[in-house]
Amino acid sequence: MTPFATDVSQATRARDGAGSQASRNLRLLWRSVGYEFRKRIQFRTGFVVREMMNGAVEPIIMLFVYAALYRSAGAEGTGSLRGWSFDEILKYVAGLLVVRKLVFHNRALDVSTEIFEGRITKYLVMPFRFFVLVQGRFIQYTLLQVVLAGLVWGIGYGILGDRWLVPVSAAATVQAMLLVGLGSYCCFLLYFIIHSLAFWLDVVWSLLVMAWFFIAFTGGSSMPVSQMPAGLARVFEYGFPYWTISAPIEVMMGRLGPGDVARGTGILVGWLISLEVLRRFVWRRGLAKYVGAGM
Amino acid sequence: MSVQGPPAGSATEAPVLEARAVGKVFETFERAPGMLGVLKNFVARKKVDVTALADIDLSIHRGETVGLIGANGAGKTTLVKILTGIVPASSGEARLLGRDSFNLTNAEKSRLALVMGQKSQLWWDLPPIDSFHLLREIYSIDSGVFESRVQAFTRMLDVEDRLKIQLRQLSLGQRMKMEIIGAFLHDPDVVFLDEPTIGLDLVSRETIRQFLVKLAEERGVTYVLTSHDLEDIEETCRRIIVLDEGRIAFDGDLAGLTNQVAGKRAVEVHVEPGGTKNLGPLEAALAPLGAEITARAADSVTILVDAVRMRDVVPVLFENLAVRDLSIERQPLEHLVREIYSQSGRAGASLARGREGPGAT
Repeated sequence: MTPFATDVSQATRARDGAGSQASRNLRLLWRSVGYEFRKRIQFRTGFVVREMMNGAVEPIIMLFVYAALYRSAGAEGTGSLRGWSFDEILKYVAGLLVVRKLVFHNRALDVSTEIFEGRITKYLVMPFRFFVLVQGRFIQYTLLQVVLAGLVWGIGYGILGDRWLVPVSAAATVQAMLLVGLGSYCCFLLYFIIHSLAFWLDVVWSLLVMAWFFIAFTGGSSMPVSQMPAGLARVFEYGFPYWTISAPIEVMMGRLGPGDVARGTGILVGWLISLEVLRRFVWRRGLAKYVGAGM
Repeated sequence: MSVQGPPAGSATEAPVLEARAVGKVFETFERAPGMLGVLKNFVARKKVDVTALADIDLSIHRGETVGLIGANGAGKTTLVKILTGIVPASSGEARLLGRDSFNLTNAEKSRLALVMGQKSQLWWDLPPIDSFHLLREIYSIDSGVFESRVQAFTRMLDVEDRLKIQLRQLSLGQRMKMEIIGAFLHDPDVVFLDEPTIGLDLVSRETIRQFLVKLAEERGVTYVLTSHDLEDIEETCRRIIVLDEGRIAFDGDLAGLTNQVAGKRAVEVHVEPGGTKNLGPLEAALAPLGAEITARAADSVTILVDAVRMRDVVPVLFENLAVRDLSIERQPLEHLVREIYSQSGRAGASLARGREGPGAT
């Protein structure tokens, strides 16, 4: 006899009320976060390369480039280039090493592959939002990277002391992390949208690389945005990458104040809403185009 | 083994699955060959519409077990995708549990399950038990019920000791059993199985068939099963739908299918050793009766004959052969389906190969 009886059957029917739906999504979210953790740490080499070394190479290269620039300009001591002394650039690079770890990377998503290979088919007949599982990956990524970023900061401070980036205040740290968190979610949404283009295109990975370069450059991964030509910097200040990478570091350095943080938060929330609307639109249109390949 | 027991649904109930004039057209691009063709494609691609389904009308009631048969490209999987709401129909209307299939609510989705033989439903990197726990959250299954079902199903399918092994490390048969358990954990009313036994050994196939038949009997679950292994269909489904080039070529039960193609019978005659050396007179005598010799060995010969001519054929056999024994069998399902296809002018080759050769797909 199979364990099916009427009362049992009634007990297992998925409830469709808004409240139960929300709590189910929340439970599912946390369970998927746990599974994502297990997936990330099951292979040691993969974990070291993908999770620990993530975001470390570019700032270190940047440091060498800046050292050469300041030396050739004779500004490595107390001098400055476009309002930035070399010591400040050192702190900025330290900030980059920490902040870049926290910003969501497209490598953490494989939605386009799931679409190409028809692996999302199974989710389409299940009574939940597929996006909940993807959000689980964002949360897992963020939690893990917060720990690793903390380690990086601690090691850097242990070695370099006050030459390393030390936030001007606890409040500045909280404000900076708020900006990084919102900005990282904007990156996550943008990557998800680009991944969703796999419903139509087969060049998604090229687009993702382009998007990452765009985010890195306009966000100030190569140089502080405020050190860029004024016209360019003014334009970039309306983008979410600036408020995700460059601005939070400057907040921790004390170069930007609470007023700037408020403005940045407003801009990020605006981006977040716009990207979420676009994400829903693209996903819906994509599903109408989906052919469920490989089934 | 075949499906027994009373039907769980009846024609008076509202159908759980319904298709009205459903059609599906896929848009694709024709690619010209050669370098010139590549350049031409780059500048202007030629759009081509491919009709996968046309004017499909069917209704399936609660408890029906339906086998969907068709050669490659006949439209079976497309029909399943439309009925489950994975892809929208280009024309017509598909309804599942009374609602437009492409706009199912979570309540309706929770009464549905899909097993894809060629795609894993479970999470590849996780042991099955973890995937089952995820499904428990997705379908809000009570934990006590969940535990008892996992225990019962794994016992029925003999995979109790494989629950904690990563899915990717399981054999194909074990993985498919886990897939089927995952599909049934939430007690679905409608289950679509797309090639659930593909690539499995005889024992695994039999175990899975028994499992499906048992649940059909006990729960009145509605199945739609697509398979190239017609034995799956014969043993688990009462109703058969044959698709040919996107259209329904036959819809009925096995007896109806037999009648539609004139009801052939395979007669196997055992004779004294060496008694089949000269079959010329037998062939000549059978020809006017529409019967033909389909196989011969040193001590046996098999004849395919219309059921209605059986009474004329049997005396001819005794007149022309030293008969020791004789057995009459219903024509195998793949022969019936091949007849349906030949009636509509197609060979149905891939289908007919289902049990006959290595080319089976």
